Amino acid sequence: MAEPLRLKAKSASPGIASGPAFLAERPGAAPAPQTAGGYGALEMAIDISIGELERLAEGADPESRDIIDFQIEVLRDPSIAEATGARVEVDENVVFAWVATLDAYIGELETADEEQMRARAVDILDIKNRVLGALAGTPIADFPPGSVFVGKDMEPSRFLAHDWSKGGGIALFSGSTAGHVALLARAKAVPMVVGTGRFSAEDGDPVRVDGDAGAVVLQAGRMLIPPLVPTQAPAGDTQIERVELRTADGVPILISININDPAEIDSLDPATAGVGLMRSEFSIASIADAANEERQLAIYRRVLEQAGEKPVIIRMLDIGGDKPLVGLEDLPALDSGLRGTRLLLARPEIARVQARALLRAAAFGGLSVMLPMVTFPDEIDRMREIFREEAEKLGRRSLLHRMPPIGMMVEVPAAALMLDTFGSAAFFSFGTNDLTQYLAATARDDLEADAGKTAPAVLRLIAQAVKLAAGKPVSICGDRAGDPHYLPGLLAAGLRHFSVAPARRPAIRSAITGFNADGTRAAGE
Amino acid sequence: MTSRLRSEKQEPGPLPEPFKVNCQTEVEVKHGVGLHARPSVTFTRLAKSFPCSIEIAVNGSDVWLNGKSIIKIMGAKIRKGSILRIRADGILAEEAIRALKELIERNFDEEKKHGRTA
Repeated sequence: MAEPLRLKAKSASPGIASGPAFLAERPGAAPAPQTAGGYGALEMAIDISIGELERLAEGADPESRDIIDFQIEVLRDPSIAEATGARVEVDENVVFAWVATLDAYIGELETADEEQMRARAVDILDIKNRVLGALAGTPIADFPPGSVFVGKDMEPSRFLAHDWSKGGGIALFSGSTAGHVALLARAKAVPMVVGTGRFSAEDGDPVRVDGDAGAVVLQAGRMLIPPLVPTQAPAGDTQIERVELRTADGVPILISININDPAEIDSLDPATAGVGLMRSEFSIASIADAANEERQLAIYRRVLEQAGEKPVIIRMLDIGGDKPLVGLEDLPALDSGLRGTRLLLARPEIARVQARALLRAAAFGGLSVMLPMVTFPDEIDRMREIFREEAEKLGRRSLLHRMPPIGMMVEVPAAALMLDTFGSAAFFSFGTNDLTQYLAATARDDLEADAGKTAPAVLRLIAQAVKLAAGKPVSICGDRAGDPHYLPGLLAAGLRHFSVAPARRPAIRSAITGFNADGTRAAGE
Repeated sequence: MTSRLRSEKQEPGPLPEPFKVNCQTEVEVKHGVGLHARPSVTFTRLAKSFPCSIEIAVNGSDVWLNGKSIIKIMGAKIRKGSILRIRADGILAEEAIRALKELIERNFDEEKKHGRTA
């Protein structure tokens, strides 16, 4: 019997998991997602929807048949095709062009004089969502719960669609500890290693991921590795927490949670100040979802209702750069520097859909909206104008909505240095990965390696920026916030509000009580 | 694939001379509720069954609307007493005009469909 093979790897998320290997095809091997935003995919989604409606119509009563017939006729309307084409000519993505065309028509119907016309608006909304559903299609194939995902890299949507409650882990040939799946894995306490190098394994081979030591162990010849004790870190705090958290010298500190998947809102407990960051790009898996106002509204609303009275900060889509949106990556207009708010302003059709969903969701709780990767103050003003325009349109349609406070991520050094000029931002939150990367000219993959050396510069920048914030609410939601190692420096920089992954919260919470507000260790510690 | 989103405008295509027909008619709508959803669907479906282009103008307006578009037809606010001009261009234009005119005169087959009176 062959000896187990132990491969050195980088730990991306702590914990140990073992299970049968699931060998993923290399992402990108499947050509399908590339066209998800194109004409062909939209036409196919429309055809699928017409087919579904025709089947529905077969057994329907005459009244329902009338509605379905009307919906099919709208899907076959040549003037909608023309208006969509005209929008595409001026460089809109075809999915958003089609959605905007239907939205304009829905808006007209909603404000019609006659009740009979107004009643039709919901029929069009219904088919819009049906087509977007068909366009989103079946999600990428899931893998058996409890297995260890083995592959070159992993798509965030695949991580999010998987049921991790049965354990399992992730071993990536390449990948990055600062990658987005690593971030998701840490938040959900899924053991993960990256950088194993390519190794050969069969589907179902027992594999062990050691996220503590940074290794992957392969048992050749299908011999079972004895299953280890459940790998999950303790899901919550075992002891009762004081609702109010203070440093050793009595300065109150707020801890919020970062969530990626709307379901994570369930880990919000009374000792948490709220949601300091919801990364909306993780619930919007494709361009079809990005175009789907109703779906987004449902997601945001669920989070806000679950949070109750507590504040929830939802960050607008942070796409571009290393975070592509399926269906949008092939657009020539998307050069590599175009990301975050800059991308949203360059493609306002995407921003407008999300702005409407957020405006409508804001009526259901304490929502604030945060803009990603802001560089210049006018970016806030321009986004606010988009919110204003969309709010006005919602008002004309008598749809319930509320204007949320709009704040910004501080993760571009140019913005951090000039924070006093961002008068129009309602609040600030530091993102440390990008701030470090752009400040120190490191590759994202090397962030960890240089973390110790870059920390003083990052902390000095943050300390200066906190002063420039001039009393506006300031928090930190980046990876560093969840690392007790950086806590003294961040406290000394003046930060009093930390937003961390739910799994990191207990550690940060207990660490805070051991420090004074100036970052010095409390006496007796 | 019909290329519905891309190439509607080319629809009639180049035609040999003898088939190019231009045809127009005028008809009054007598249906009680005018062209709401159901009669509009009946109208555009019939219009789409002809290869020629079909356009309508309402009450002497010089704005010609695509007769195969449900949203244009419904948005035109065609009511009882409206005068509808219909024109067709291309293959089977005469047949198209005749069929659409008859449909309107038959009150969009509403009674037949649902046993209602107009």
